Amino acid sequence: MSETILEVKNLQVELGGAKVLENVSFSVQAGDSLAIIGPNGSGKTTLFRALIGAVDYEGEIKFTPGVKIGYVPQKIDLERDLPITVEEFFKLKSTALPGKKHIQEALSSVKLSPSYAVKPIGALSAGELQRVLVAWAILGNPRLLLFDEPTASVDVAGQETIYELLHELQDQRDLTLILISHDLTVVYRYANRVLCLNKAQICFGAPKEVLTPEGLSKLYGGERGFYHHLHSEKLT
Amino acid sequence: MTELGLTQILIAGAFIAAAGGLLGSFALLRRMALVGDALSHVALPGIALGLLFNFNVLLGSVAFLVAGTLGIWLVEHKTKLPVDTVVGVFFTLSLAAGALLTPEEEILEALFGDISKLSVFDFWWALALSATIIYLLLHFSRRFVLALISTDLSRSEGFHPHRLELLFLLLFAFAVAVGIKFAGALLMGSLIIIPAATSRNLTVSMGSYLFMSAFLGVAGAILGIFGARFYGFSPGPLFVLVLGAFFLASIFFRRK
Repeated sequence: MSETILEVKNLQVELGGAKVLENVSFSVQAGDSLAIIGPNGSGKTTLFRALIGAVDYEGEIKFTPGVKIGYVPQKIDLERDLPITVEEFFKLKSTALPGKKHIQEALSSVKLSPSYAVKPIGALSAGELQRVLVAWAILGNPRLLLFDEPTASVDVAGQETIYELLHELQDQRDLTLILISHDLTVVYRYANRVLCLNKAQICFGAPKEVLTPEGLSKLYGGERGFYHHLHSEKLT
Repeated sequence: MTELGLTQILIAGAFIAAAGGLLGSFALLRRMALVGDALSHVALPGIALGLLFNFNVLLGSVAFLVAGTLGIWLVEHKTKLPVDTVVGVFFTLSLAAGALLTPEEEILEALFGDISKLSVFDFWWALALSATIIYLLLHFSRRFVLALISTDLSRSEGFHPHRLELLFLLLFAFAVAVGIKFAGALLMGSLIIIPAATSRNLTVSMGSYLFMSAFLGVAGAILGIFGARFYGFSPGPLFVLVLGAFFLASIFFRRK
């Protein structure tokens, strides 16, 4: 059951001379849902960008050979009148040109009606665009999906359903999931592993074990659980 | 050198305009519309040297544009300045050098171009370069579009946005080099901007946007060349005016 999909050892990233990530080590098993949490600017998105090879890093990132990755970015900046339809956007995928059938399947897997194929992507709402991005990411049947949650722009109800959707996709497609989340209820409900980042790695393990009040106040610098904060300060 | 007949001039004009229109459709999406205008000046020293030492000005402009483009790409990468800023530096320097070098009596032709004075050599070069530009743009179109939507998505697919950027700039340089023959350094930018801007007013899908840009360029070229022949004007400026008319008309047909 526990086949390792990804192994990260001593990952370190510098951007413009400043260390934005250090000492990050974790592994992901097939079927895992790993949630990455941490305050703003803690290097969560940078970790994803290192995983897809978009930034230089030191240390080791090892995917099991042949593992395909799907990536859902936090946001993409589109001009509203960008002349490109959803269908054409799907066809930009490098892995073999998807046919009509694949495009319809991809749309229905994220619960969008077939009529979305001919809509220009610039005209979609934030929630619709996010679904389209998820559909895009799973188009080549990846085994590992990286999902970067938008900080704003999608409402709470929309956010709930996107996680329901990811959960469903994970069951149907035997997906392994790494998600960046800002919402601890999401982490408790959908993740079986959690990685806490604040430039350095603060914790890694099962949510119930590592998301203790002490751990959280260390991670978020005392924003949550004031009395625990005083306590943990004495310890450090 | 023998002068070419109307048919050849029309063919060359159509090819050049198709390449320029197609390239322009990508340039507009990348917000590089005015880069073509600026780049065209980078060719001026090459044109001037060609005129002075009697070699083909197309070769001179290609050489200067390719060198200039590589320079722009390297400086952009090194300094992280926006591409239009770097292009701005290069283009004003080239303009200054071109102004010093260009013989006074030839300056009009260098600035405005004249496709009706095409030599056989120019004809084949224009055809070969334009066809290459069109082929490469279409071949890499999916990668170019993905990179402009999101460089991270492009990287996650294993593409190299930085290399694509260089390829695009080089294609841009070639398009400008052949376009100068048609519309001259001053008006070259119109070939890149106007058909694509018009097409953007009219289309919602990428396929129709690219096709329409190229098509409008070709239509403008043919009308411009015929009109010039008929009324005895220079084809370049007339071509630009025809494109301008298309653009004005498109405003009223703008999709919702």
